[in-house]
Amino acid sequence: MKQHKLLPLSETMHYILLALREPLHGYAVMQKVENLSHGTVVLAAGTLYGAIENLNKHGWIEPVGNSGRRKFYVITTEGKEILSRENERLSHIVSLYEGGEPNENN
Amino acid sequence: MKIIKMFFDIEKEEKWLNEQLQKGYRCTNINGFGIYTFEETDNSYVIRLDCQEYMSKRKSEEYIGLHEDFGWTYLKGSWLGGIRYWQKEAGNHNEIFSDRQSKGNYYKRVMNYCLVLGMFCLIYSFMLFSDQPTLYFDGLWSMEGSLFCKALIFETPFVLLKLLPVFMAIIFGISYYKAYQKHSILKE
Repeated sequence: MKQHKLLPLSETMHYILLALREPLHGYAVMQKVENLSHGTVVLAAGTLYGAIENLNKHGWIEPVGNSGRRKFYVITTEGKEILSRENERLSHIVSLYEGGEPNENN
Repeated sequence: MKIIKMFFDIEKEEKWLNEQLQKGYRCTNINGFGIYTFEETDNSYVIRLDCQEYMSKRKSEEYIGLHEDFGWTYLKGSWLGGIRYWQKEAGNHNEIFSDRQSKGNYYKRVMNYCLVLGMFCLIYSFMLFSDQPTLYFDGLWSMEGSLFCKALIFETPFVLLKLLPVFMAIIFGISYYKAYQKHSILKE
């Protein structure tokens, strides 16, 4: 299977998808990501705009309404599948850090 | 203060604009003829340039609204696409791109922008030359002495004008290549 061009998820995309497990508008996504990452990931406006465009285009997030001129987005089922696949991939890497399965293939 | 200037390189333009701001100005207007208007200020500002293609009205509202939420003011941009100018009071978040991926995508858009404009100039000059393939009119070369000199001097500005789209195509080509280089560094 050909790997999707957004996979593995970049740090930006990863945090945005995680933040959008609840419906949020753009600026609130930035604030939540800053919180979730303990202040290490601070999204800039252009980056966030492009990422939302991109995730929306691939059907991983979808618009769920407006409040004034602000548009709210939320993760889709497909987006959640991506997250669970990334969860497996990262859990495996973490297990290697912790010294698991050292001689599985030898 | 008004300054008239012309740029073919988006990064040079951004750099120049920020140099003006550092002298204690903020930009109040930019128009399509290359007239930049500044006003003195005690606060410090930053300008960032983005490049976006055509957007529908709703897309454009979302694009502008999101940037405004972050404190950016939309100085100028055309609905047709191209360069978009953002200004903001200098603070903690002075960039519009915060990761390599989005900066790389930005250079990709700059490449497309230069390509479209460069192609346009090229097609235009091609049409100009297929209409009238010589630069100087044919009789010029059979003239002699001072008449030849006068005619040559008289015609040269028109020839340069005719060559202008060719020069511009070359300049856009160079800008395309510069953006391509930066794009490929970020892709690595």
